Amino acid sequence: MTFSTQFLSALVYGSLAWCAVTALGLGTLLIRDIVRGEIW
Amino acid sequence: MTSEAALLPAGVGWTLLAAFSVLWIGLGIYWGRRNKSFEDHALAGRNIGLALGSATAAATWITSNTTMLAPQFALQLGIWGMLAYSTAAIGLLLFAPMAGRIRKLMPNGYTSGDFFRLRYGRVAWAVFLLFTLFYSLTWLVSMAMAGGILLNTLSGIPYAWGMSVILGVCVLYTMRGGLAAVIGTDFIQSLIIIVGIVVVGVAVLSHVPVEKIHANLAAERPALLDVLFPAAIMAIFNNLLFGLGEVFHNNVWWSRAFAFREGVAGKAFALGGLIWFPIPLAAGFVALASGALNVPVPAADMVGPLVVAEVLGEAGAIGIFIIVFCSLASSIDSLLAATADLMTEDVYRRMFRPAAHPETLKKIAQWVTLGLGLFTWAVCLPRIGTLATVLFFAGPLVGAMIWPIVTGLYWRRANTTGAVGGMLLGAGIGLFFYFAIGFYVASLIATAVSMIWVLACSALSKTRFDWALLREAE
Repeated sequence: MTFSTQFLSALVYGSLAWCAVTALGLGTLLIRDIVRGEIW
Repeated sequence: MTSEAALLPAGVGWTLLAAFSVLWIGLGIYWGRRNKSFEDHALAGRNIGLALGSATAAATWITSNTTMLAPQFALQLGIWGMLAYSTAAIGLLLFAPMAGRIRKLMPNGYTSGDFFRLRYGRVAWAVFLLFTLFYSLTWLVSMAMAGGILLNTLSGIPYAWGMSVILGVCVLYTMRGGLAAVIGTDFIQSLIIIVGIVVVGVAVLSHVPVEKIHANLAAERPALLDVLFPAAIMAIFNNLLFGLGEVFHNNVWWSRAFAFREGVAGKAFALGGLIWFPIPLAAGFVALASGALNVPVPAADMVGPLVVAEVLGEAGAIGIFIIVFCSLASSIDSLLAATADLMTEDVYRRMFRPAAHPETLKKIAQWVTLGLGLFTWAVCLPRIGTLATVLFFAGPLVGAMIWPIVTGLYWRRANTTGAVGGMLLGAGIGLFFYFAIGFYVASLIATAVSMIWVLACSALSKTRFDWALLREAE
């Protein structure tokens, strides 16, 4: 039994999209913390 | 490695190294200017917000192993290999609720050593210090050594120079800026690493679609697609336990739990785990493309950079150089800061100078950071090779500490006999099997033995710990 093409595609595209979203999320969180004066 | 065989000209490597060195040191000095006391230096004033907190949790866990070893895992263990590497994120996710509890129970705590001293007494504290210092110093040396080797392989910069520069830069900005500098640079480094991995991944996919990668693997190396690949499934347990033990015990993570603003610690570690989880998958799959792209791979540990250089040329090699440099710096600085804090708080202050002034402690922490840097440099200079074996040797020590920590944080009946016996028996029996069978069972056996002993001692215990004892005044 082997992993299918669809599974590999989901893993690869999913992880890249996840990384892109987390980078955007981190940037957004930083801006939010700066605006609230809660960065550190 | 000669400069002719490297992926980048040495001049480009030196320019990148110089530029990032100036940036990190400059930021370290700038962020360190407000540090007046040991608390400011070691814990950034205990006021870190969610953005920096989440980024530092993820960045510290992104070592050079994550960006270099994940592709190697994929090449050798296939899809399960990538997934196995990603399970290390579970350590951060499970530490999230513990971090919130640590912050609540120990509002004045500084280190994981403080927890052992207050919760289990001085004998358990001594055993813990011995184990954790051995592990932390081994990890530090292995990271610095990896830095020299990787910079040499990528750009031809001589090993001794590359190792010295990366270590020296991290020592300088950690000394000057303390945890604030470490966490601030971690944020920038984590963004560079994540964006870099996405760019590299998209570039690889634009050259070879997933369907072609899958077809090539099915024809040439079908084991990498096997759902029942035994070695790869074993790797999941090994990585999972190692990750849990490392995160649960090491002061790198505890110091962050103390440094985050109230109410932030749990969320920051949970987000850090979610940020980290896809990185080994996104960084690892490029190795699976090596066959479809016809990239020769003379050494498995260089498969990632080789594929990226093939697809993106010199620009890709520059990207990999920056990603690797950031991955190394984000781990070396954290280890330097956390280990220096442990030696300052647990050894200097608690054993020799209980009445030391906060400003004096800050200076001691800075000198200890420098001393750690010099020690690491002296050990790394002869280039004795890989320290992977020694790190695996530390696996049973790390595994044996999981249960004393978890039960000590949540169970009033967890006691000193359980903690000391669990650590010593678990580590001892784990090390016996390390030599008798192999590294891949050592952590598992150490954790299991420690668990049985700790649970038995807790079940038979009549004592009930008073949580208020953890709220030690400064």
